[in-house]
Amino acid sequence: MKLSEKLTILADAAKYDASCASSGSSRSNTLDGIGNAAQSGICHSWSADGRCISLLKVLMSNDCLFDCSYCLSRRSNTLPRATFTPEELADLTINFYLRNYIEGLFLSSAVYGSVNRTMADLVAVCRLLRTRHKFNGYIHLKVIPGADQELVRQAGFLVDRLSVNIELPSESSLKLLAPQKTRKAILAPMSQIGEEYAGYRQEKKKSGKAPTYCPGGQATQMIVGASKESDYQILNLTEHLYRRMSLKRVYFSAYIAVNEAPILPAVASLPPLIREHRLYQADWLLRFYRFHASEILSETSPNLDMRLDPKAGWALRNYDLFPLDINRASYEELLRVPGLGMISAQRIVATRRVAPIREEDLKKIGLVMKRAKHFISINGRFLGDRTMSHGQLAAAMYKAETPASKKVLQNSRQLRLFKN
Amino acid sequence: MNTAPDTFLYDGSFDGLLTAVAYAVKSQAPVAGVYAEHHYMPTLVAGIRQIKTEREQAQRLFSYLNSLGRMPARLAFNGYLSEDKESANYIHGLVRECLRLGKSAADYFASEPIRNLKGLDKKVSFEAHRLNGLIRFRILKDGLQYAPIEPDHNVISYCANHFIKRLANRRWILHDIARDLALFWDCNTLQPVSVADDFTSFVAENGEVPPEEMAEQELHYQQLWNSFHAAISNPARENHKLQRQLMPKRYWKYLVEVG
Repeated sequence: MKLSEKLTILADAAKYDASCASSGSSRSNTLDGIGNAAQSGICHSWSADGRCISLLKVLMSNDCLFDCSYCLSRRSNTLPRATFTPEELADLTINFYLRNYIEGLFLSSAVYGSVNRTMADLVAVCRLLRTRHKFNGYIHLKVIPGADQELVRQAGFLVDRLSVNIELPSESSLKLLAPQKTRKAILAPMSQIGEEYAGYRQEKKKSGKAPTYCPGGQATQMIVGASKESDYQILNLTEHLYRRMSLKRVYFSAYIAVNEAPILPAVASLPPLIREHRLYQADWLLRFYRFHASEILSETSPNLDMRLDPKAGWALRNYDLFPLDINRASYEELLRVPGLGMISAQRIVATRRVAPIREEDLKKIGLVMKRAKHFISINGRFLGDRTMSHGQLAAAMYKAETPASKKVLQNSRQLRLFKN
Repeated sequence: MNTAPDTFLYDGSFDGLLTAVAYAVKSQAPVAGVYAEHHYMPTLVAGIRQIKTEREQAQRLFSYLNSLGRMPARLAFNGYLSEDKESANYIHGLVRECLRLGKSAADYFASEPIRNLKGLDKKVSFEAHRLNGLIRFRILKDGLQYAPIEPDHNVISYCANHFIKRLANRRWILHDIARDLALFWDCNTLQPVSVADDFTSFVAENGEVPPEEMAEQELHYQQLWNSFHAAISNPARENHKLQRQLMPKRYWKYLVEVG
């Protein structure tokens, strides 16, 4: 089979992976080597679906032993199969990298031969790149659940980021949809990586000579909408992964119905894009805005409001905490005002150090008042409308959604019109 | 004494800009503005002051800005690179705020010139960052890597710095076609070079280097990249508007994967 055919098949099969981030690792180039990794990550292109491309994202193989009901590459599907050799893949990565098409490699694979055989081949690609090609760019590797501990450890020394996919948010869903995968097989390498990551980081602090182990940390991905879990369950799991397993990123992937099965959403159903979007917003609140999952959702209201970003939802439920005064509120409090992001909050704090902020300065600082005005006061003056009822306020917030959210709402509506 | 507002003109260089700003700050008369000569239509109105570049004066001002932390000097330099015709004027405002407020001036968002410079700084650094991803090297017959660009702002030096770290052991040329600036890295030093006119005009017209100059495998890898680019897109989520918003059409000319 020609290389270009393999590439088409194996890139096509990898497109459902949500991650394409190349951030979080800074690896410098060596004298005779190629490449480095930028801490901030660099996007190199954007595909026709508007998603950024920063890594050569491919599967090593789509020739799978497993038969997970949600997966396109499952054994019982009839489709063209291909497998790269480690040399082909390393060569492709280097040649794309030299031309500056990509920031590095994101390698995943279906399980072929055996779990360990697959994992060993993945590690071989990384080793070829690092040693033969002296490649210092970014590598993100998907660990095959159930692989030998030693192989996982070797991978950790070669790559920038490792991830083990959680796939589905609960054990019962795994049993139903991916009976060959178990929670234990997924969590074991996850905690191994977590421990080794923490251990080698300690070592590194003591001595610069200690080996670098997976400097970009660990990530995971779960499919949303193929099984019955609530947003509350998903968000609690996410929080657990951040706080207890110290993961760097949790990716959500709206389930795209590719297979017909009685236990799955119908093939004609649409991917839950809005839900995915709201989950990412909530995830952002956990990672950057110092929220807890229990503040965003609860047993009694377990699902995110599809019409409203989760921060606005929280602020409406906790309206008694507002208005906050722009000149007095702490940075943490400012972060909780709908419409204020980290940048606006930082600017407010920085400007305040020079002189108290006046009402006419707000726009100059770059604050978008559309949503924030209902929640702030300045030097004692409330900027919202006191006569508004809670219902009117909620309606105003629905209307004032961010452009990004509006786009998702609108696009999924268009999709719906088109398909029905 | 002349109290009509003065307009300060400089030769278009960064040193010239700083010299003119320094004279404007010291000026007794009110300042109407600071502009590059090529941005300014000379009129017969009085109060035009042509400032001759003084390297020492410029360096003094620049090290003053540097002494206040990284931000003020960065705002001035990126303001210059933005090639915005008001930038020298804003830099004049920045220096005055610095003299008034000291270190905290760069955080003073309520000041108009500082806000404008922050905006320009963002545009310049963002374009440099975006180009670091969007630059496409072509590998030529002798192994030399060549990348044409046409940025809005004069960011070639930022991009060159990026690739010095990244492709240290490769020989490459970054070529700003519109400004006809080319920088050559020979694995040791970076230096300006001139690119042959017929080569440049071929690239400008076709968005690609002449086929007879390409390495044997070059087109093969371009095609592989095209196949990957097409295959990685998810047709269920097609969104060309978003794609164009994130990767504006003005950059497509030298990209291999679109067009």
